[in-house]
Amino acid sequence: MIGRLFDVKEFAVHDGPGARMTFFLKGCPLRCLWCHNPEGQRFDKELMVRSALCEHCGLCSRPAENELFRSYGRNPASCPKGLISECGEDLTPSELVDRVLPLKEILTSMGGGVTLSGGEPLMQGDFLLECCALLRDHGIHLALETCGYASEEVFREAVGAVDYVMMDLKIMDPEAHKSATGVSNEIILKNARYLMESGREFVFRTPLIPRYTDSPENLEAIASFVGEAPWETLPYNELAGAKYSMLNRIYPLDEKKENEI
Amino acid sequence: MEDLRQFILDRKHRAFRRAVDRNLAAEYSALGLSPRERMTRRFEYLMSLETPVFLPGEKIVFLRTVENIPDCFTEEEWEGFRKEHFIHELGYLSNISPDYETVLREGLSSLRERGDEYVKRMIDAIFALSDRYRDEAVKQGRDDVAQILSRIPRQGATTFREALQLFRILHFSLWMEGNYHITTGRFDQYMWPYLKSDLEEGRLTEESAFALLKDFFLSFNKDNDLYPGVQQGDNGQSMVLGGITRDGAPAFNLLSKLCLQASRENLMIDPKINLRVSSDTPDEIYALGTELTKAGLGFPQYSNDDVVIDALVRKGYDLEDARDYVVAACWEFIIPKYGMDIDNIAALNFPKVINQVVHASARFASYEEFSQAVRAEIFAECDRQIRRKEYDNSPEKSFHVWFVPSPLMESLMCPKYYNFGMHGTGIATAADSMAAIRKYVFEENSVAWERLVSAVDNDFANEPELLHTLRYDAPKMGQNLPTPDEAAVFLLDCFADALEGRKTPMGGVWRAGTGSAMFYLLHAADLPASPDGRRKGEPFGANFSPSLFARTKGPFSVIASFSKPHLERVCNGGPLTMEFSSSVFDTAEGIEKTAKLVQSFIRMGGHQLQLNSVNPDTLRDAQKNPEAYRGLIVRIWGWSAYFTELDKEYQDHVIARQEYSL
Repeated sequence: MIGRLFDVKEFAVHDGPGARMTFFLKGCPLRCLWCHNPEGQRFDKELMVRSALCEHCGLCSRPAENELFRSYGRNPASCPKGLISECGEDLTPSELVDRVLPLKEILTSMGGGVTLSGGEPLMQGDFLLECCALLRDHGIHLALETCGYASEEVFREAVGAVDYVMMDLKIMDPEAHKSATGVSNEIILKNARYLMESGREFVFRTPLIPRYTDSPENLEAIASFVGEAPWETLPYNELAGAKYSMLNRIYPLDEKKENEI
Repeated sequence: MEDLRQFILDRKHRAFRRAVDRNLAAEYSALGLSPRERMTRRFEYLMSLETPVFLPGEKIVFLRTVENIPDCFTEEEWEGFRKEHFIHELGYLSNISPDYETVLREGLSSLRERGDEYVKRMIDAIFALSDRYRDEAVKQGRDDVAQILSRIPRQGATTFREALQLFRILHFSLWMEGNYHITTGRFDQYMWPYLKSDLEEGRLTEESAFALLKDFFLSFNKDNDLYPGVQQGDNGQSMVLGGITRDGAPAFNLLSKLCLQASRENLMIDPKINLRVSSDTPDEIYALGTELTKAGLGFPQYSNDDVVIDALVRKGYDLEDARDYVVAACWEFIIPKYGMDIDNIAALNFPKVINQVVHASARFASYEEFSQAVRAEIFAECDRQIRRKEYDNSPEKSFHVWFVPSPLMESLMCPKYYNFGMHGTGIATAADSMAAIRKYVFEENSVAWERLVSAVDNDFANEPELLHTLRYDAPKMGQNLPTPDEAAVFLLDCFADALEGRKTPMGGVWRAGTGSAMFYLLHAADLPASPDGRRKGEPFGANFSPSLFARTKGPFSVIASFSKPHLERVCNGGPLTMEFSSSVFDTAEGIEKTAKLVQSFIRMGGHQLQLNSVNPDTLRDAQKNPEAYRGLIVRIWGWSAYFTELDKEYQDHVIARQEYSL
């Protein structure tokens, strides 16, 4: 079995309790306008070019030996500044575990563990569950970061496989949710209700996106849905659009702003 | 208080300065005066030129108004000294930690009594200036100052404020004598009795003591642009807090805490705060340290008592002295009062060693053979460094290190240790180079030896893909991978072995270290490309840090890699430096987790750590608009500086090491 990552980070301080190592799984069913990890949206591998530092030496046009690189039309392996990278790394669950084990002691001593995030990690449900099972055998604390958009079956299994769940609740109005994220929130809310009753430790999270999620009506609606359950808001990241140009894409919120002007 | 800080930041106090243009060297030379006489005479002269000044609202007085200290030897005389002796750096005493404690307790009269003719004259010059300050204070209605100066500096301090003022006068005078990199040592230990009794007897509250301390901390920033250093900010005003006492008891006290807080509120580059910790240090102390890191000054620098004390004892220091260790200007471990060590007298350029071996005519049948050649070259290079300090390459003459005599500074030292320290530069570049050779040449056989050597010789001009592989795909120190980390352990073991048993001309020992000082630029500037994909002239990481282009996944792997070497054997000093995006510190959670990370580093056996909170965009903007960022502070190799006052190559290095920061 093979999974696909777009990033791995150590010491992600806001990804669950203690100090954590976070694996970002590639691919997401949502297309949130404010997404700050656009390279996590598509499952397919893609090139990321940090063109701001490019000196236009032209070496990346040298033909690549690697077939995939040839298909990109640029050769990441010949950029002398390492500005071009292929985003998307395939590995097996046991390879993922091999990366965690050397750090097990430090993760444990800092009261942390591993967080599986994305993208949307539940899109690679089988891989995720297998990773969880192996990591659990090593006694590693597991957290899941999800948008909650997954089949009930996958969602329930995943909740059962981890120690802690961080789940987004973005917009309560179904229409508004669909227009801002591309999908209806029906499944999400259903899964959220399950989570509340699952007995699993969790937190709901709402990113505060100006004009999309931060209206008093939306926040009140979320508050009433959440009730007494743990819920936190996340401030809007001003640099959210930074990676779009590296993927040769346009940050949807910038585009909208320009259209309004 | 805030007014005084702003006054200094706006550099208004510099208006009181005047330059001295007398050619003292020529005068003294014509009179045929001895070095000691010259130092004393110059000191008397400069102190007599000083004008008492009281800055608005200032409680701790003494401001340098004499801008420059003319040399007391002519160029020809210096040449003569260099023929006879080894002259270290500027030739004046530096990088040691004087015995403030005794003077604070007994006053300068007592030191004067014990001193020789020169010391007596110098102390008389101090008294004369402090009397003029006292008289001026009376004139200006500053009765509080006048009253303090009627006791000190002649007598010992009886209150915290008197102790701070006496320290200031002494420190001021030591700079004026011509010494430099004058450290402040274990300030929270020798000052604590005065604060403690003031608090107990109600003369001060914690709040009023804190205000006084902040005022005192400003005094380190009044004249620091006049102090010599490689760059502005490199002035050696280090302060060491916490740790254990000479008896082994925990030493962190209320004053240690107030110092961490005063530094955080003043937001200035001096004093440079060091915090001694160990595996027994409680969480709260790490939390206080991390709050200071958040302020973005590059303080505190942590050192690990578990490793450092053990290392010093291994090198022959008495246990009680080892427990009393402080840092020199940057991070070299020295003993206050007793240590005359020259901890930065030489430097081993690790990547150059690799370069020599790669270009040796020998063919290596295995990685093992290659690494034995590296070991031999480390021994040979250390030997060259050591002999150079003894004979300056002329074996027929025996040379000794000679310092210009400093009567006042010498009267505050009780010399016991005369050891030498050797920096170790570019450790990650060298370890990564060995790892690349091991992996591609000897294990995978994917790159032929000749191809690698020729690519290095051509600065990878015709091998962009090989360059990319070596630079970005090869395993690097800081990724917690066995190949480079084993190479680093090996290199540092060889370094320690090479200095084992070697003696200095004064009978001391040689200490190997992990620091680079400015050599991360200087040693790299002329060095050809290296097998880790570093191109010709590109700098190394500063001190004990990953190479600038190593892509680490984050600080867990970095601290795991950098705590593997046998640091108790290479403990001259030299910290791991890690950069964190300032956003890590935005939440209480981030601060708490960072504190835990530091604690983990210490528990894993790391020896020394610098943490920086930075925003690379801010740095880039500051390069473009320096006027808007006059107060922006960054950490360089072992000291903090105002970013916009640095030469561009140092600025660029700071920015480059942020590329892969968190």
